[in-house]
Amino acid sequence: MSAAIGLVFFIGAISLCVIGIAGIVLSRHLFRMVLALAIAEAGANLLLVLSGYRWDAVAPIVTGSLSGQAMVDPVPQAMVLTAIVIGVGVQALALSLVIRIRQRYGTLDMQEARQRMQDELDNDAGVTPPRSQERPAGERPIPAPAAVIDAGGRHD
Amino acid sequence: MTEVTLAVVLPLLGAFVLPLTRHTGVRWLAAVIGPALLAACALLLFAAWSAFDAPYTIALGSFAPPLGIAFYIDRLALLFALAVPLTTLALWPAEAEADESAGRRQSLTLLLAGALSGLALSGDLFNLYVFYELAAVASYGLIVGNGNSPAYVAAFRYLMISALGSVVGLIGIALIYFKTGTLNLAHLSTLSEQLADPQGLAAFAMLVIGFGVKAEIFPVNGWVPEVYSAAGKRVAALLAGLASKLAVLVIVRVLLLVFPYDETRQLLLVLGIFGVAVGELAAWQARDLPRMLAWSSIGQLGVVFVAFSLPGTAGVIAGVTVAMHHLVVKSALFLLADRWDKAITRLRGAASTSHLGAALFVLFSLSLLGLPPLPGFWSKFLVLGGLAASASPLQLLAMGVILTGTVIEGAYLLRVIVMLYAGPDTATPVPRQRRGNLLSASLFALVLLAAAVLVDPLWQGIEALADRAVDTTGYQNTVLNTPEAGR
Repeated sequence: MSAAIGLVFFIGAISLCVIGIAGIVLSRHLFRMVLALAIAEAGANLLLVLSGYRWDAVAPIVTGSLSGQAMVDPVPQAMVLTAIVIGVGVQALALSLVIRIRQRYGTLDMQEARQRMQDELDNDAGVTPPRSQERPAGERPIPAPAAVIDAGGRHD
Repeated sequence: MTEVTLAVVLPLLGAFVLPLTRHTGVRWLAAVIGPALLAACALLLFAAWSAFDAPYTIALGSFAPPLGIAFYIDRLALLFALAVPLTTLALWPAEAEADESAGRRQSLTLLLAGALSGLALSGDLFNLYVFYELAAVASYGLIVGNGNSPAYVAAFRYLMISALGSVVGLIGIALIYFKTGTLNLAHLSTLSEQLADPQGLAAFAMLVIGFGVKAEIFPVNGWVPEVYSAAGKRVAALLAGLASKLAVLVIVRVLLLVFPYDETRQLLLVLGIFGVAVGELAAWQARDLPRMLAWSSIGQLGVVFVAFSLPGTAGVIAGVTVAMHHLVVKSALFLLADRWDKAITRLRGAASTSHLGAALFVLFSLSLLGLPPLPGFWSKFLVLGGLAASASPLQLLAMGVILTGTVIEGAYLLRVIVMLYAGPDTATPVPRQRRGNLLSASLFALVLLAAAVLVDPLWQGIEALADRAVDTTGYQNTVLNTPEAGR
């Protein structure tokens, strides 16, 4: 019975980690990345708790009358408390950075923000951005539609 | 003996006292407190260094290891711990105007220094993780400290990569705890055989990814160029020069004590080769100085990992030499890039406005390339000699990659030097170097030249240090048999 529950917890912890890491890697929305980070950290913390857990044991609190019963290893639980606190701090910092990015660049899209950052860095340094498929060098070979030019000309 | 812990405690204390002193109205106190604390740390670490005869542990709160957390002090730890306050002092963010943001930068720098000292001294895996996170959080704050918009995006991306690394590292720690039930490095090293299976090796790989983010190791270094070019250059110097070395030290400790196997060494070797290849090629492509230096630091740290992947004392000797050399040189080069942060073509004739700056740049570039008798030559010589001594195909490949990398390095660094000494461009004159940066860079140059002169005593010192560092039974006995230490 307890082994089955343990397996469920293990699968849950590892799934949380995988979902979170996939979310960070795959999503473009800044806020979703922070949420995915929270999920991944929850998974890692659960795994850490499970690493010292025993299903046949009691909580590790010394009450004076030691019953001789096995206790759960308290060390991973103390570590997880630390990890949770660190995680909360980092997530709060990440959110404050998201707010600043939104204020400066008006976007919550990672790729767009990154593009604007690269442009600004290139611009500050006085470097022309490298050629890429998204930004071919020079004019595009396709001319503007003739009708639009004609329409503009006749008004004058 | 216990006063070494003050090297961690004093900067942390200072970081939180510093904002309070601003409100006392005594202006000079706030300006003096940071450098004074760091100088005190450097002094007491130096005293510990000169009084050192055998490694010892400090059981924090008198809880004996493996139950309590212990600091382990040997020459390797003391060397890296000593480098922290000294480098931080040389890169101290001393601002002319003592505004609010300058105070915040100083607090964060102290926080970073305390956390990095902890990384050098601690002998407990989870404690290392906590110090690592503390250093990471302080560095996010420092990166956005200059308040320009690209820094926020760069810091966010760095935070995401670093947090991802932390999650992976935490899973690695959980895996190790599953298998052994302890996280004390000495205790783990007695249980090392239990970790010599695929699960243990997976845990090591996860720890490398986790702690490797700051060490700019190959798959998790995408944040490097944008962070170093968007942040202030003193911050970039601190992160590239100092913080990366302490992260390397953590990985090396875990490698030497807990996973002294061929497979783990090969993992570091392969990641190092990739780092060298990617870093040097990208640096060759870069067209502004900060990003060139950033990519080149990825390449250099690749060499560091290749060096530490060598077995036995040879690996530690080569690794420590390369790491310390890179610490000195890259910090100084980033200081020079503070005013020369534009495209390389815009540096035309910079030597005519600041002679000293250009001369220092040439000195550091030549040492980075490995021109004898500068220390860079010895560091590369040791790595290549070690690789040649144990010539497996992978190590020969590493040799080839490092040598090719050096040629590429020569191509891009000489390109900058040629630009510096070209005839001046009168239309857009290159800005002069700031005096404070020149002073700090000169200090680094003095260290470099002193190391070039004192090769022999340095060699003996590093050899003795490496003998201790690979002595795992000595480590175990020192940590696990001293219940009274720390009283």
